[in-house]
Amino acid sequence: MMTAADFLNLLIAALMLAGIYGAMSVGMTVIYGVMKIVNLAHAGFMMMGAYFAYELFQRFNIDPLFGAFLALPVFFLFGMAIHWLLVRRLPKSDQPTLSSLLLMFGFWLVLQNVAYLTWGNTDMSILTPHTLSVINLGPITISTLRLVVFAAAVVSMAILQLILNRSWFGKSVRALIQNPYAAQITGVDDQKISRMAFGLGTAFAGFAGALLSMLYSFNPDFGRPFLVRSFVIIVLGGLESVPGVAFGALVLAVVETFSILAVPAGYQPAISFALLVVVLLLFPRGLAGLMQKKWRAA
Amino acid sequence: MKTGTPASGIRFSISSVLPWLLLVALIFLPSAGLGTNLIRLFFLTLVWIVTSVAWNLVGGFAGQVSFGFAVFYGVGAYTGALLMNQGVSPYAAMAGAAAMASIASLIVGAPTFRLRGPYFVIATIGVNEAVRVLMSNLAITGGASGLRLREHGPYRQVEHYYTALGAAAIAIAISAVIARSRFGLALRAIRQDEDAAADVGVNAYVCKLYVHAIAAALTGMAGAIFARYAAYINPQGVFAFNTSISILLMPVIGGIGTIWGPVLGGVVFGAIEEQLVANFPNIHLLLYGGLLMLIVLVEPDGLVGLFHRIVRRRGSDSRSKGIDKVLWGRSRLEGREL
Repeated sequence: MMTAADFLNLLIAALMLAGIYGAMSVGMTVIYGVMKIVNLAHAGFMMMGAYFAYELFQRFNIDPLFGAFLALPVFFLFGMAIHWLLVRRLPKSDQPTLSSLLLMFGFWLVLQNVAYLTWGNTDMSILTPHTLSVINLGPITISTLRLVVFAAAVVSMAILQLILNRSWFGKSVRALIQNPYAAQITGVDDQKISRMAFGLGTAFAGFAGALLSMLYSFNPDFGRPFLVRSFVIIVLGGLESVPGVAFGALVLAVVETFSILAVPAGYQPAISFALLVVVLLLFPRGLAGLMQKKWRAA
Repeated sequence: MKTGTPASGIRFSISSVLPWLLLVALIFLPSAGLGTNLIRLFFLTLVWIVTSVAWNLVGGFAGQVSFGFAVFYGVGAYTGALLMNQGVSPYAAMAGAAAMASIASLIVGAPTFRLRGPYFVIATIGVNEAVRVLMSNLAITGGASGLRLREHGPYRQVEHYYTALGAAAIAIAISAVIARSRFGLALRAIRQDEDAAADVGVNAYVCKLYVHAIAAALTGMAGAIFARYAAYINPQGVFAFNTSISILLMPVIGGIGTIWGPVLGGVVFGAIEEQLVANFPNIHLLLYGGLLMLIVLVEPDGLVGLFHRIVRRRGSDSRSKGIDKVLWGRSRLEGREL
């Protein structure tokens, strides 16, 4: 029997999870929106982010939270380099292509292998003094670390939304998302914006990976379960907007958290997939298809 | 190309005789006194070729890229293993494995084929993960610790080899028949434009389910053949995501959407897997990833496309571009309505 406090605990856990899920999915959305590339290497970038935080913590004793914010500029440059090196050579398309999928997938494999060679295949984790500390509010318990991670995720997403809404770069990105041809006619430099968008997406993947490294142990294969989740989230959220991602993250986090009541823990990884199929069958345009007009108008 | 008619006539006859010559050569191969290690390499390559050709039916002909073929490989391996442990004859067990994999393909395909393009691709990754989790937890499969086969009678490597050879021949024959049939034409139509295919009367959903079931049956059979040879299987092996990658990589190496591309890819992959990976086990992902990126960026039509490009150097690579356009989504020009 579930008490009100249990329910509230689960709800808070779901909300915390949603924050992390949102942070890890926005990067994918930006890249998909601008370039129509399903970035399978996203998981690899997240894994690299986790090791980035780990290295900073081990070598310079830098707190992983700070490390996560340091990951933003580093991975931004990394992503721009990858775009310059590989992605821009793909045939242009306004639809996802097999070649883009396979290219990013191949790159993910390379990243994994580099990580195996560098760090080996043992699980690693980052333990700080506040890893296990909790905040008690009467019957409700909140992990301090999760709260901090949640806050960082939400803040970063808010800043991203601000960039997309206010800056010239953001306007170009949104123009490319809405109509790439018209955007180019009005003078948006497609290549430059794509490069920056890819950098931005990578930066957020690295950031999310660094945040996740504070909560979970990781190995070079880290990120695969999150890849499917990220995709579920951006599908739920309509593929191309930050509020959509936040919404999708919340839906998935709530479903996953409360499914603990009904589904054995061993089968948890199957839930995001089941949700994806159910949603796509019921709403072929994603949940956001129902609400897209609202957001477009807003 | 006006003078090319007689030459192409000869080439046609060569290309129709070549597969039979190859088959005869492979049949007499074990009597040439090869070492067990080489026979093993041939056996594994043939098993890979079966899966590669099967994947190509769905991914190449119908254009539905699946990252989830390990599911059918694993289902086939486990069904075959469980049946053989019950005392069923190996070949009946392989047929059972094929049937079971087909059923699994319908269960997987019924929801996922409602999805298109990247949705379908990601869903297949999800299926693969979900099934692997399921299989590691189920009691009937022996859980994560794996399953050992108890086959009685002497171990004869040559018999395994001939089984794999027969399976590969069946797979290639099916692939060739489909490529020339109305059904194959429907699949090509689906690959090029699903809506347009539906407009001319192709039931895309049912066609995709059919071809998926055929491909799954072949893959399941390959799984059973492998399980019988290996005598031990576990979920982390046969259901592994890496198995799905391998199955997908071979047709891409060889040239997807062609009959012989996947075969060629299987041969190359078998050699890489056995030689390079065995010698440098810690960089195999790097090799696969690098190969994948290289093919995508340099020669999207794989070895077959490269071959065509070399043969038709004079007429530039117009044919290669044509395949490129059809296979790899909208090409540079198409999709730009403005």
